[in-house]
Amino acid sequence: MKRREFILLIGGGLAWPAIARAQGAAKLHRIFWVSTQSEPDPFLDGFREGMRALGYVEGKTVTFETHYAPGNPQALRKIVSELQREDIDLVVSSGPATRVMTAVTDIPVLFALSGDPVALGVVKSLAHPGTNFTGSTFLSLELAGKRVELLKDIYPKLRKLAVFSNTDHPGEPLEWRATLESCRNLGIEAAYVPFCGAREIENGLMAAGKVDADALLVFPDAVTLVQRAKIAEFAIAHRLPSMFGWSEYCDAGGLLSYGANQRTTYFRLATYADRILRGENPSDLPVMRPEKFELAVNLKTARLLGIDLDVSSILFRASKVIS
Amino acid sequence: MTDGAAQSSSCTMPPRRSLFCKYFATLFVAAVVPLILGAAVEASFGYRDQRRQISAVLQADARAASDRIEGFTDGIRDQLGWMVQLPWSGGDDAQHKIDALRLLQQVPAIVSVSLLDETGTERVFVSRLLLNRTGRGIDMSTDPAVQGARANKVWYGPVQYQRDSEPYMRIAVAGSLPAAGVAIAEVNLKLIWDVIAAIRIGETGYAIVVDDSGHLIAHPDISLVLRGRASSGSFGRIKHLVGATSGAAVITGDRGKPVVALSVQAADVGWTVIAMQPASEAFASIRAALWRSSILIAFGVLIALALAYWRAHRMSGPIKQLEEGVERIRTGQFEHRIKIFSGDELQQLALRFNEMASELAISQQKSARIERLKQFLPSQVAELVEHSHELLEGQRREVAVIFGDLRGFTAFSTRNEPDVIMAVMREYYEAVGAVTTRHEATLIGFDGDGVMLLVNAPVACEQPATQAVRLAIDLQMTVQSLAGKWCDAGHAIGFGVGVAMGPATVGTVGYNGRLDYTAMGAVVNLASRLCNLAKDAQILADPTIAGRVRDSVPLASLGQRNIKGYDQALEVFAVAPADLPLKPPGSGQRRREKEAQDH
Repeated sequence: MKRREFILLIGGGLAWPAIARAQGAAKLHRIFWVSTQSEPDPFLDGFREGMRALGYVEGKTVTFETHYAPGNPQALRKIVSELQREDIDLVVSSGPATRVMTAVTDIPVLFALSGDPVALGVVKSLAHPGTNFTGSTFLSLELAGKRVELLKDIYPKLRKLAVFSNTDHPGEPLEWRATLESCRNLGIEAAYVPFCGAREIENGLMAAGKVDADALLVFPDAVTLVQRAKIAEFAIAHRLPSMFGWSEYCDAGGLLSYGANQRTTYFRLATYADRILRGENPSDLPVMRPEKFELAVNLKTARLLGIDLDVSSILFRASKVIS
Repeated sequence: MTDGAAQSSSCTMPPRRSLFCKYFATLFVAAVVPLILGAAVEASFGYRDQRRQISAVLQADARAASDRIEGFTDGIRDQLGWMVQLPWSGGDDAQHKIDALRLLQQVPAIVSVSLLDETGTERVFVSRLLLNRTGRGIDMSTDPAVQGARANKVWYGPVQYQRDSEPYMRIAVAGSLPAAGVAIAEVNLKLIWDVIAAIRIGETGYAIVVDDSGHLIAHPDISLVLRGRASSGSFGRIKHLVGATSGAAVITGDRGKPVVALSVQAADVGWTVIAMQPASEAFASIRAALWRSSILIAFGVLIALALAYWRAHRMSGPIKQLEEGVERIRTGQFEHRIKIFSGDELQQLALRFNEMASELAISQQKSARIERLKQFLPSQVAELVEHSHELLEGQRREVAVIFGDLRGFTAFSTRNEPDVIMAVMREYYEAVGAVTTRHEATLIGFDGDGVMLLVNAPVACEQPATQAVRLAIDLQMTVQSLAGKWCDAGHAIGFGVGVAMGPATVGTVGYNGRLDYTAMGAVVNLASRLCNLAKDAQILADPTIAGRVRDSVPLASLGQRNIKGYDQALEVFAVAPADLPLKPPGSGQRRREKEAQDH
């Protein structure tokens, strides 16, 4: 309840001018959804929820044309040529697809990136994108180190950490480097367990089980998000305290997660979509960054793993406790 | 020439429209001007009241917003105060770290907390993003935050935009004991948004927060804040404009539309809270009132138009009728009557007009009768009828009096039958009347065989004396020709004439409807005496006449004569025989006979 209010408040902040105007967009808006992930797509669901909350009715005032190229950003290049069609109002690209979309210059593009959009070259600055791109960035890099630290806080005996990573994710090398540095600072050995795309996840987990780690760190991305229940199950089976990026993982049985609220992020993205559909220029809409980070703890998993939460400071720091 | 033409045309073309227009305009203006004046005064007072009220509302809202922002910063300050209550001792870094972590949990806006010991060295650093640190770290004693907090217990740093986008500031609090050190918190000011967004002024009014240099700190549209310093230009302008006036100012808002704005200082942090409301909304009620007034005015104008038209029409219509009436009367349609039933002065005027028309009709009839009369009566008589009032009034004036008298009439009347007498008399009277008419003299009356004529009364003439003498000659000649005829029939009848001139009183005298016009005075007697003195075919005149006609008709003096009733003898003149026509044969003999009979 509290979180929902919060989402509405934050969303309200961005949708403010839209609320100030009368809601009466009777036109049917076409939104092009481009992703390198695979379906089912939790991000699209979050975005759809945001659009619904802003009064859009799918099929009536908005339609989504989804294009997926799981693990193959190059395949999306063909899609870009389709964008020459005149009836596309907005492109929303999730994750690595954004990199391909740089070729699009005449249609507004909304992105949700974990990396730095300035470094990617799609915007000139966070305050003034100055291009047809805007969106939100999750600050994953900065949080990567923090997740290791939190995992160590809850499990001080941590010596070897398995880092489970989808190499298909853009910015993944950077995230791995940040994690590695953090591990070094905290005196932890990092075991890198890469896999590529949804097809390799089984093999990846198998490999993770063989590295003889004390804990598991999973980089947040759509593939692991979709497979979160399986990964959480694996971690419990191997008695590994696990750390994830978003609270959805904890809901599915992960021990810990630390990161921005996904729903809030996508809700904000939806408000930007609304403002662009109403005629605002994306180049004037600053790139959004989350300012609130959720620390979620699953007490049930902790019990299963025999972790005594009372000795650490985690419980009072947690913003979401799943029992 | 053109003036004359214009004048004549304006005379012939009645300015009817102009009267209508004048009345119409006057009535219209009289009705509409007070209406508009009233509405204008009402609107101006309404605007002032509304403005005052808006000022009060904005003041309250801005104050509330400022209080909440102070509550936000004060909350952080107080929470930091808890961090620096106890002095640092040996190895309680871990406890401090837990306190700091709890602080992060307590205050979502704080991104990181640094706890410094009394030397200004960092002992604990906890962050939401960066790795936490404990133990002796960097020396921050020269940091302005530390120095500021040590000097004033509390230090509020300037607003910084992280990557030129997200607003941050540092707040530092020093403990009351120097040994307790300093706590520095980095605060993400995006979270003030919660405070600002909750403030609604009216329907669409809002509050914003800017720092001293006009940088936007909080705005209900958070994307404006995220534009960093780029937006400080327009908000700095707003801050300057609003700060310049004491009350609410109407300025161009950040959306380019006019807003009513008022600013309040948040004292601790030195920020300015600006409450604004779109002018269109703020003045909506006054605008609605203006609309209502306008509609009422329009309504009033229509009514005034209709009333003024009606009134002006009511005024000009009868006047037009009157004018038409006058025109008809002028062309002789006296039977025309004006029908106005307005119940006011115009009706009275129409009544008078109708009376006038009927009197004019009577007068016209009278003059027509006179015209007819003129065919049968001498023009003097007609004139008399026409101007009887002034002419017949008693007045004294100089008149010429002519008396004529038949000679031998008494003998004739005793000797003859009455019908013969009547025939002679009729001829005589007709002849006298014809002569009188010919000379435009006034026949006063017949007295048997005598006749009295008046010249210069009642109708004046230019040379009464000459005219009287000519009349006398004509009369003598006419009657003498008749007398010749009578002689042939065996009647010896002659005719003598006396003329005198002098002042006399003329006028009507009479009784009970029987009125006679006559002259009184010595001149009448004198003329009568002269007539008596005159022999047959002789015309005697007094000295006055003689003096007046000396140049035109020669008169012969007969010398001094004694006249009955006069003390002194008077010189008597006779018209020279040359001026009388030749006497018919036998007249001398007849004259002698007649004289013998009369004397």
